[in-house]
Amino acid sequence: MVRDERLASDELRRIDESVRGTYPTGDEVDFEDALAFHDSLAPEKSFATVLESATGPLLQPRAGVARLDEQIDLLAFLHERGGADLLPTTIDSYTRDNEYGKASTGLERTRETGADALNGFPAVNHGVEGCRELITSVDAPIEVRHGTPDARLLAAITLAGGFQSFEGGPISYNIPYTKRGNLAETIEHWQFVDRLAGLYTEHGVRINREPFGPLTGTLVPPSIAIAIMVIEGLLAATQGVRSLTLGYGQVGNVVQDVAALRALRALGEEYLPDEVTVTTVFHEWMGGFPPDEARANGVIGLGAVTAAIARPDKVITKSPQEFQGVPTKEANAAGLRTTRQLMDMAMEQRLDIDGIEAERDLIERETRCLIDAVFEHGDGDVAAGTVRAFETGALDVPFAPSESANGACLPARDDDGRVRLFDPGDLALDDELVEIHAARLERRAETEDRSTSFHMVADDVDAISNGRLIGRPTDADGSGGVSDAD
Amino acid sequence: MPTTVVLGVIGSDAHVVGVTILERALEGAEFDVINLGVQSSQAEFVDAAAAHDAEAILVSSLYGHAEQDCAGLHDRLEDAGVDAVTYIGGNLSVGQDDFEKTRATFETLGFDRVFDPESGPTEAIAALRRDLQLNATESERLRVSS
Repeated sequence: MVRDERLASDELRRIDESVRGTYPTGDEVDFEDALAFHDSLAPEKSFATVLESATGPLLQPRAGVARLDEQIDLLAFLHERGGADLLPTTIDSYTRDNEYGKASTGLERTRETGADALNGFPAVNHGVEGCRELITSVDAPIEVRHGTPDARLLAAITLAGGFQSFEGGPISYNIPYTKRGNLAETIEHWQFVDRLAGLYTEHGVRINREPFGPLTGTLVPPSIAIAIMVIEGLLAATQGVRSLTLGYGQVGNVVQDVAALRALRALGEEYLPDEVTVTTVFHEWMGGFPPDEARANGVIGLGAVTAAIARPDKVITKSPQEFQGVPTKEANAAGLRTTRQLMDMAMEQRLDIDGIEAERDLIERETRCLIDAVFEHGDGDVAAGTVRAFETGALDVPFAPSESANGACLPARDDDGRVRLFDPGDLALDDELVEIHAARLERRAETEDRSTSFHMVADDVDAISNGRLIGRPTDADGSGGVSDAD
Repeated sequence: MPTTVVLGVIGSDAHVVGVTILERALEGAEFDVINLGVQSSQAEFVDAAAAHDAEAILVSSLYGHAEQDCAGLHDRLEDAGVDAVTYIGGNLSVGQDDFEKTRATFETLGFDRVFDPESGPTEAIAALRRDLQLNATESERLRVSS
């Protein structure tokens, strides 16, 4: 069984050699040479320093295209025309699946036809030299953003290539991202990634790590996201990571979102060792967007106002073209500017909203139950406990595609639009907490004059793209988006 | 006898929510649903359709790689002797393309119907009933008259 112990240096070396042998560009990695390259970079490209010393929330978009020169142009555009403080390089989905051959085919097709055949930047195919050209060509810190369960080769190449921030983690990049990923194995793979980041850190190159808070991006109850962030933070800290950015995705109820971000910061600082610097990132709405740019800007604006109240260290922005897939660079920059305008205006005034502290108390109680359960399942070991807690469903994620998750809990919004548990599955929550959720949903059912059922869940999944927060029944269709289901 | 449909997200795509809701809706409409889930290969679609004698195959893709993932699927279905209507829906190309162009691309690949990302489960179910000449279920007739 996997344990939460630091990977020994001979083990690190052995895995590093075997992983780098799986694709030709792996040969380009040389640790000493990589340290020298990082040392040559200007201080304004140091991701951890820029993020940790910021005085207000920094903005970062998502962006990745197949070709290197196009990626350089895209990032320069988002920096200059969108005002992005931090830049991303989003990796394509074939690379995330370790299908470097397919990524190569997509890259070749893009080069031949000029039309993007990949949904991101195939960093493994571009290799260490390609990554370094990107890092040197752009005047801001750049993070690797992806969704790769086994990101060992991607980490080896991109960290040697000069990136100083790496998104993901063993739970957040397994449970929502893959069907067949074995969780214990994924934890081992991320122990390697975190140990590599720790090794760079020990040699003076502080690598920022960012577990992916939004998970499935669909009505995730805050306590589930926060518990997973704390666990991934603990696992990373064991391997020597000292700069951790914990994430949370907007659910759209302002009180719940602000409460969740405050709980995330407080619990992150409480549970993680003192030598770790904890920062937080807020993701603008990750669910389905309205099929209309004007309305999509409204969703983005609500995220910006939430960020202004909660003051996370970083905000990941969305574009008004989110509905239709990868946005144009102009739309991506527009999402940044919309966020900046609203956030800056809202930050210059006092916005007092009732109920935040009570909601935060509820979220913290739930989160503690889940984290306690993980430690109990592992007899004090967080790695072993995570695997067992997912097996039993004591820890679970709504809509998780992974075979390693129980996948039994289901969320729905209450009468105020806050995300609650319609079905808690086997989550390790006190009875009293489960009753609070049930009572809130019962109140909504009364308002809507229908019983709580999967209809509510399905209606809520579509609600924001349909123009509302809560998936209320409409006159036209008494049972909502899945009228044939029962 | 219930009609069997095979459902899944093709390629390396992990977008699970839509296919989960579609599964529930199809079951509610009294179809027998074989849901392959996310990250399903062409071979898994072909094998499931052949093994269960499916009358329809519903392919979902949200991440933009659908064209590369679906190339050759219809030849494999034909080789395996599968005679089923094929639908595809979602975000089918990487950028902000014109949907009519996307529709033409996937019809050329052999799909009988191509759905844009705004389509809901009810549209897929209505199309299946038309294409497979099925009638609405007893419970739905009751609902309409009540």
